Amino acid sequence: MNDKLYRIILFVAALIVPIVCGGVVYALVTDAYDAFEHFGFLNFLTSSQWSYTAGNEQYGALPFITGTLMTALLALVFCIPFSLPVALFVGEYFRGTKVASVLSTVTDLLAGIPSIIYGLWGFFTLRPILMALDISPQGSGVLTASLVLAIMIIPYVASLSAEFIKMVPNDLKEGAYSLGATRAEVIRKIIFPVAGSGIFSSYVLAIGRALGETMTVTMLIGNTNNIPDSIQSTGNSMASIIANQFGEADDLRLSSLIAIGLVLFLITALINMIGKMMIKRARIV
Amino acid sequence: MRDKVVDFAGSDAFLTDKEMAEMEPVVHVPTCMGAVVVAYNLDGVKELKLTGEVVADIFAGKIRMWNDERLTALNPGVALPAEAIIPVFRSDGSGTTFIFTDYLAKVSPMWKEKFGAGKSVNFPSGQAAKGNPGVAGVISQTKNSIGYVGSEYAFAQKIPYAIIQNARGEFVLPTAESISAAAAGTIPADTRTSITNADAAGAYPISAFTWIIIYKEQNYSGRSKEQAEATLDLLQYILSDEVQNITSEVHYAPLPAKAKELSMENLKAVTYDGVAILQ
Amino acid sequence: MAKDKLMLWGICLLAALTAVPLLAILGEVLLRGYHQLSWAFFTEPTPTAYKAMKAIEAGEPIPGGIANGIVGTMIMLGMAVIVAVPLGILCGAFLAENSKNRFAQFVSYLTDLLQGTPSVIIGIITYIWVVVPMKGYSAIAGSVALCIMMVPLIVRSTEETLKILPASLKEAGLALGGNKARVMMRVQLPAAFGGIFTGILLAVSRVIGETAPLMFTALGCSLIRFSVDKPISAVPLLIWEFFNDPNLQELIWGASLFLLLFVLALNLTAKYLAKRWNQ
Repeated sequence: MNDKLYRIILFVAALIVPIVCGGVVYALVTDAYDAFEHFGFLNFLTSSQWSYTAGNEQYGALPFITGTLMTALLALVFCIPFSLPVALFVGEYFRGTKVASVLSTVTDLLAGIPSIIYGLWGFFTLRPILMALDISPQGSGVLTASLVLAIMIIPYVASLSAEFIKMVPNDLKEGAYSLGATRAEVIRKIIFPVAGSGIFSSYVLAIGRALGETMTVTMLIGNTNNIPDSIQSTGNSMASIIANQFGEADDLRLSSLIAIGLVLFLITALINMIGKMMIKRARIV
Repeated sequence: MRDKVVDFAGSDAFLTDKEMAEMEPVVHVPTCMGAVVVAYNLDGVKELKLTGEVVADIFAGKIRMWNDERLTALNPGVALPAEAIIPVFRSDGSGTTFIFTDYLAKVSPMWKEKFGAGKSVNFPSGQAAKGNPGVAGVISQTKNSIGYVGSEYAFAQKIPYAIIQNARGEFVLPTAESISAAAAGTIPADTRTSITNADAAGAYPISAFTWIIIYKEQNYSGRSKEQAEATLDLLQYILSDEVQNITSEVHYAPLPAKAKELSMENLKAVTYDGVAILQ
Repeated sequence: MAKDKLMLWGICLLAALTAVPLLAILGEVLLRGYHQLSWAFFTEPTPTAYKAMKAIEAGEPIPGGIANGIVGTMIMLGMAVIVAVPLGILCGAFLAENSKNRFAQFVSYLTDLLQGTPSVIIGIITYIWVVVPMKGYSAIAGSVALCIMMVPLIVRSTEETLKILPASLKEAGLALGGNKARVMMRVQLPAAFGGIFTGILLAVSRVIGETAPLMFTALGCSLIRFSVDKPISAVPLLIWEFFNDPNLQELIWGASLFLLLFVLALNLTAKYLAKRWNQ
């Protein structure tokens, strides 16, 4: 094989990725067009109606955008008290030890569990607990979904944060210790300021994951098409309304679901882009 | 079905005039009867009486507590808890939802105006699950919940269900007999009618036909005459006494004699190249 | 100093707590699922809801298994791997060789984008691209969805592994008179094999549990099927089906146990190989 042919083959293989991405955007936009044209782009995003009465179909994405943001942000809040300690454990306190590698194996395995199994566990184990504790009357809802989502994103945040904590230069820390600083002070005054932007970016990327998580949320959020009025309420996320209704939808409803898919795609793409840019900058510093 | 890729379709909801207009002529053949039961999960409550209006108000979020006075008035002597009611409904579109909401729209003007009847309706509160089994599953897993389920699933799952007041004021438990009784009234020849809230003695009010819908003219998409005949043979078999007696074993209800006659009449209208297949 | 100790203990405690969900999930699936694993469970297809219902009523264990899902998963995964692996490796090689190139940076960015795209959207896309033109759900559609999700993962692992190979390796190869293609095929890729293989294993373990993209593409089927142009089942699809049907719920834990053990075994193997290869 000569060099020219080799280069062409590699180039063609690499071309597939932009073609697929372009195809994704093209297909979503063309098939969502009907819904946007019928309801108006802004109106579609801000309408809270989701009604299929023949002749008076009303589809709006607001309940699902709200549901998605609520579950993702709440999951983020729940995951911080666990992911940060894991990151410090692996990246600072027990860095390079056997215990640390066991813990990171545990979190890696946690990341490997399929989302449908998280959903089952949430439904059959966590949900009865929440009902028994009177935290949520019907057990399902935004709160239940985000608790399980939080567990699902801990591994991603923890391993990425640990990476940045490990990158904090040793001489900085040693300098502080020699001035009599305690470990807690070193973490607060040296590690967090230096690794902070990296840690923050790992949370941004975690939101990106939580936004699009489908099966877990579908099984736990309660699947009602209203804007959740509290964290105990039931609702639907963008991904879960698609999972619930895509198979049976046609015409305008199908187009509306695809439009929701497009919005979800754009939001996750934006969040991921911001996260990656922040990571790049954090790595340079 | 509309794209002529299947031989026939089973449905709990008949086609609307608009849907009929968009398609080649079809024939509705009632094959058996089903009902929608209002199932609940309440500790220690063995019998629950409800009226259509109360059911509508529960699902509309107007009656929120189990010990609401309208519920206690209907059920004297039953210990209804001071807990919030959790309505459970379908997350997917379905004939079951259609039958249920069609009934509610008939008995409650409020329901008709705010929610209407349809295969999917925007219930204001509670929790949704996929399919009849999904709803039955959530009800059995959730204390203080109430939901509507196709009778075949409720009977099979042995979850408790409510006694509903019918149009004649009788409180009726859904059984094979009370469901069949709902078809005793007048039925139009094409059988496209809703028999919910039927004005008949002993009738369970949330009952319905289960139809098989086939094209009137069977020569389409290159189907042979033999295929068409085989389809009709199958449908005739479904209407035979032998199969009708099995219906209650699988927790549906048999067609009453009059409805069966109409089914046969409709089958005879099916043609191949314009000639009736059944003579 | 007391504060320091407290913080250390706090961190250890919270870190240890993250192991709880893993153990809880493993434990629950194991305890509720192990007794279902039998020869029949792996060789027989899913029973109908009716058969399962009859078995429950008779107090017998539900007959049948998940063979239709296992076969479907293997077929779709196999087809996806055959396409995604060479494509991913070639694309990864391109990115590693041209890291300074503008186009390569663009491709690299898009690879991230594709990797971050929610799987449910990959399902929609495959539905539009494959299911609609083919006029039906199929194993092919399912494997296309899995393939789209695997490619970016394999691209990334190939690129990263090639990039950390010592530059001297490639230079030595070129100095010995090999052209770039030969050096890539004979020197670099073999040297990177461990890392690439680990990446493939992880990619397989990531997509094998995917449910949402298969719901709109493979759909599911209760028969053991080997044809690629018809709807087909998969293990995660079966779990979703069992979840929505209380009649079949008994089977859910066995199926989940199988899937979970498979995924965790793949993960651990990949981790072990990565470690060995790094040394």
